[in-house]
Amino acid sequence: MRMGGRESGGGRGQDRGRKKQYKKKFLFRKKKFCKFCDEKIKFIDYKDLRLLQAFTPERAKIFPRRISGTCSKHQRKLMQAIKRARLLALIPFTSD
Amino acid sequence: MLQYETVFIADPTYTDEEIDELIKGYEQVIGSAKGKVIKTEKWGKRRLAYPIRRSEEGVYVLMTIECPPSLVKELDRRYRMNDRILRHLVVRVENEAQIGPSPMMKPRPERDELMAEPMMAP
Repeated sequence: MRMGGRESGGGRGQDRGRKKQYKKKFLFRKKKFCKFCDEKIKFIDYKDLRLLQAFTPERAKIFPRRISGTCSKHQRKLMQAIKRARLLALIPFTSD
Repeated sequence: MLQYETVFIADPTYTDEEIDELIKGYEQVIGSAKGKVIKTEKWGKRRLAYPIRRSEEGVYVLMTIECPPSLVKELDRRYRMNDRILRHLVVRVENEAQIGPSPMMKPRPERDELMAEPMMAP
């Protein structure tokens, strides 16, 4: 995606204008949105492992809000659910 | 009367009959406190995400109950008294969705596979 607009070849000097364009394209990102607001999920169940695992990738850490785009209200509820699930050994605290 | 949801993990050495007896015991405790059981779900033997007291497995039981708040303390005490209960949780029911069958009861073969194999390190 990032490399999408770039063309191979061309000297440095010639490339200037294009590079600027590329940079602009790179700056534009799709706006993040809260998955829970979008799907109108009011309640996050600690038993819904499928959902919780989507928010605890790889090392089982809680997916940060700045990356996932979850709103603060839902992030709090998500955190509560993840912590409950961890206590019940449904999902791991860490995984190496 | 408030609605609570309680999950406990029993030692995997429990037999099915013993689990039923255990549940019956708790139902009696709830009944004597003028509470009532809305539903009981036996999730069966599951692999734990991490070992608890050197046990890799546990028998999960969920109960949704309606009882006076004082019973929560009593239930908690009873869970603690039993050495063969690895973990327990008592929480308030926040949503009607919790009254119906939980996501655990839905047949999902992929989910069990997910839990069975440890997640890969990055």
